[in-house]
Amino acid sequence: MIVADSKPFQEIEQMLSEYKKVYIVGCGSCVTICHTGGEKQVAELASKIRLAAKLKGKAIEVIEDSILRQCEWEFIEEAKDVVADCDAVLSLACGIGVQYMAERFPNARVFPGLNTTFMGAPTEQGVFWERCAGCGNCIIGSTGGLCPVSRCAKSLLNGPCGGSQNGNCEISNETPCVWNQIYDQLDTQQLLSTMENITPPKDWRTGAENHPRKMVLEHLVMKKE
Amino acid sequence: MVMNNSKMTDTKYTCEEAPCVMACPIRQDARDYVQLIARGLFKEAYRLVRERNVLPSSCGRICTHPCETKCRRNSTDAPIAIAWLKRFLSDNYSEKIYTKPGRNYPEKIAIIGAGPAGLAAANDLALMGYSCTIFESNSTPGGMLRMGVPTYRLPRNAIDKDVALIQQLGVEIKYNTTLGKDVTLDGLKKEGYAAIFISVGLFDSRNLTLEGIQYDGVLKGIDFLREVNSAGTAKIGKNILVIGGGAVAMDCARTALRLKPEKVSVACLEARKEMPTTDFEIEETLHEGIKLYNSVGPKRILGKGGMVTGLETLRVKYVFDEQKRFNPAFYEGSESIIEADTIILAIGQTSNLSFLKNQEGLQISRGGTIIADPNTFATSVPGIYAGGDIVLGRGTLTECLAQGKKAAISIHNSLRNEKRKDEKWADKPEVQKMADSRVPLVKKEQKQDMPMLSLGERLNSFDEVELGFSHEIAVREAQRCMNCGAGAFVDENICIGCITCVRVCPFDVPEFRKGETTAYIGGDCQSCGLCIVECPAKAISFKTPLEDRGRERLKTLFAEKSIKNTKPLIVNFYCQYGSLSGNTKSNAVVEKHVKRIGILGLGKVDPSLYLNALEWGADGVLITACKEDGCHFCAEYDWIKKRSEYVGKILKELGMDSRIFQTHFISSQTDTAFLDIATQMVKDVESVISVNKS
Ligand SMILES: Cc1cc2nc3c(=O)[nH]c(=O)nc-3n(C[C@H](O)[C@H](O)[C@H](O)COP(=O)(O)OP(=O)(O)OC[C@H]3O[C@@H](n4cnc5c(N)ncnc54)[C@H](O)[C@@H]3O)c2cc1C
Ligand code: SF4
Ligand code: SF4
Ligand code: SF4
Ligand code: SF4
Repeated sequence: MIVADSKPFQEIEQMLSEYKKVYIVGCGSCVTICHTGGEKQVAELASKIRLAAKLKGKAIEVIEDSILRQCEWEFIEEAKDVVADCDAVLSLACGIGVQYMAERFPNARVFPGLNTTFMGAPTEQGVFWERCAGCGNCIIGSTGGLCPVSRCAKSLLNGPCGGSQNGNCEISNETPCVWNQIYDQLDTQQLLSTMENITPPKDWRTGAENHPRKMVLEHLVMKKE
Repeated sequence: MVMNNSKMTDTKYTCEEAPCVMACPIRQDARDYVQLIARGLFKEAYRLVRERNVLPSSCGRICTHPCETKCRRNSTDAPIAIAWLKRFLSDNYSEKIYTKPGRNYPEKIAIIGAGPAGLAAANDLALMGYSCTIFESNSTPGGMLRMGVPTYRLPRNAIDKDVALIQQLGVEIKYNTTLGKDVTLDGLKKEGYAAIFISVGLFDSRNLTLEGIQYDGVLKGIDFLREVNSAGTAKIGKNILVIGGGAVAMDCARTALRLKPEKVSVACLEARKEMPTTDFEIEETLHEGIKLYNSVGPKRILGKGGMVTGLETLRVKYVFDEQKRFNPAFYEGSESIIEADTIILAIGQTSNLSFLKNQEGLQISRGGTIIADPNTFATSVPGIYAGGDIVLGRGTLTECLAQGKKAAISIHNSLRNEKRKDEKWADKPEVQKMADSRVPLVKKEQKQDMPMLSLGERLNSFDEVELGFSHEIAVREAQRCMNCGAGAFVDENICIGCITCVRVCPFDVPEFRKGETTAYIGGDCQSCGLCIVECPAKAISFKTPLEDRGRERLKTLFAEKSIKNTKPLIVNFYCQYGSLSGNTKSNAVVEKHVKRIGILGLGKVDPSLYLNALEWGADGVLITACKEDGCHFCAEYDWIKKRSEYVGKILKELGMDSRIFQTHFISSQTDTAFLDIATQMVKDVESVISVNKS
């Protein structure tokens, strides 16, 4: 899933400072699961915005809502009338959702309420870790199912580096060294010898170096009228 | 928009009924009135009880409470004292809840007998708009409750109080009027009664064929009780032996004891465990000093000079045969003697149907009961209905109430050609027994004892033995209830399967059932509300309408005009599990400035509600929760603390003074611990306001 964090409130306040009627819209998928962009967060943020306005003696009207997935034209279509009726849209979706809203409603002022951070998962209630960098060329088949691209601070393909200490990465003793974990995993599977295979330099062109990426599934594309 | 916020009302969550409700013959709303008491809403609880129950004061005392037998709290420790809680309500909150209904219909209905069945039928028919007259041969109402049940279990004012409310609906009771003597069925029909409901009970004692039964000093149980209950005393000797092992036998023995003989004993066929009465009743009987002979059967009554001298007994081999039928067998040659100068036979009641002379059409069973259709209560004669003991052949108070209520609807349906139904009696699935693995997760909480009259005081009078619950005991007891079947449910149209609920529930209730992609919350939910607050999609709510998690009450508070002039205004959210006492300590300052919203477990409250309070005009929010070891759910403390810190951070971001949002963990919400905190908070907020002004 996509993980996103709440934007600092001051930034949000600033973005919305000139607007009187704001549509705050959550997204019912990834960001709901990571507790930053769901119905509940919308209600909390709305209340906070109104309270802040009240303290400053300003008036603001906030419309609260959530859409199943803001990254689908069909779903956001429903917001048409509310968007037209408001001065601004604060989208609590990941960057994709925010852009979809902006693209679909070109006349609306659309703002992001979240900072989209990474692709990851909850390792326990309330704790999320990055797990994938979307490099476009997955190698975890040979690294015990653990991704060094996203989980190693240096994205090393032949680790660990000399900074690995007591199982943790040199950048912080709260960050596990993934290469240490890979070693342990391969040990468990009795595949340690594969550690000695040198992985050649990776072709990074499939990854984030090659924006914007696109995928077309010819067999699914329908003819336009 | 509806996409993932479709209306809750569209969901069909499984409507499992609490077993306490299903077990009750009248389907009393046991769970909900207990839950109302737990929330301190006593008047509302009384009204809810009275809506279905015309004799709450009697039921609260002598009901055999099948609800408690089925209570799911049996799995964790002991059932909720559902009946005693009802008594608590009727002792303290009895009130007229209906205005006198208008006369909707021209038909008059005659009811024979002012016992529970007759009273229930009259009440419900009157409410529907019929004019009802009860013909009663006694000079007082209540039937067996008055003539049979001893006053130390059921004081007569408890009957009178409830009957008065029935009469206020316009029900007329004609006392000293016996069917078959003063009026006849045909006569009533001629007088224009469109339907007749016969609820005459079983007023005669059953006969026993036993050698020596003719001796002086052999009494029949029902006759004996009736005599004591109407005359206040009866002629008995010094050494009393009651034969029988049921509730009536215990009543006879304990009544006899209060007439101060030298000795009272009870002899019965059954072993202690087999006796057809409650353990509680047996314990009380023994506690009062009555001797119990188990597993002995009467061979013959011994006498001398026409007077009883004792009972010759045989030891019982078994009472029930292999087919579980009542078929006692005795050990030969095991004769023994219990001496007595009075023997009371408490061995059952039978009907007296002498009023049916010239009514050959009315079908009677071999046991002497009137045969009536189990659904409509119609007898074989059109227009004549029957219910209560005379149909059941010895039922219980609530079974008779149920028959009266059902007969009332049936009479209406037949007169109006309607198909009215009382949905409460519909078949519904019950909440299942608690999963064994969950039992240890639920906090054990001791069942409250009934305060009792001391032994000395008991034996010198017919005063009521059970003294009734105080407010505090009642609330404590009610708060043990697990709110079965009314807990949280997931709206599957909204749930996005994030698993948060599964992770946060302290009782491991939410689950993803095989093949399902949305969470499911089963009947073991304890209503702590943690998952409801934490669900990021707001997919979970309570089934119970009693639980607003503070939101509606906060809205109501701000709808009050006077609130605008309250400065400073502090809203206090407090945990009602810490609020037992009826008298909350207060002072003028707190009274004026601190508005309290009680919630059964603050884990149910959304942090955004605290923001809402400030948004809507509160100058401060005070949260007073239970201490960690006092938490009813054992798990809310951490959550309450975390959420308060979270809200605190938000307010800090907004530049608000931290003193306007305070959280305290205290052991009581009603004593000085709370008062001191609240008083101080008012001062704190006042100074914050004056700083902000300057
Ligand atoms: C000693 C004793 C203890 C009991 N204890 C309990 C208990 O603890 N819990 C419990 O649930 N149940 C108890 N019961 C049972 C309960 O009292 C009865 O089931 C219930 O009262 C029956 O109600 P009813 O309306 O059918 O008839 P009844 O209560 O018997 O009332 C019938 C009424 O009809 C009147 N009547 C009779 N014949 C005529 C006539 N010809 N004309 C006019 N009026 C007439 C009678 O005077 C009486 O008032 C007890 C019963 C007895 C005898
Ligand atoms: S310590 Fe481990 S995780 Fe950190 S940079 Fe080195 S190899 Fe990567
Ligand atoms: S715990 Fe409460 S709701 Fe559940 S069966 Fe007992 S009284 Fe009824
Ligand atoms: S927390 Fe809410 S959205 Fe998540 S699984 Fe439970 S009910 Fe569904
Ligand atoms: S309300 Fe409490 S007990 Fe019920 S499912 Fe949710 S977390 Fe569990």
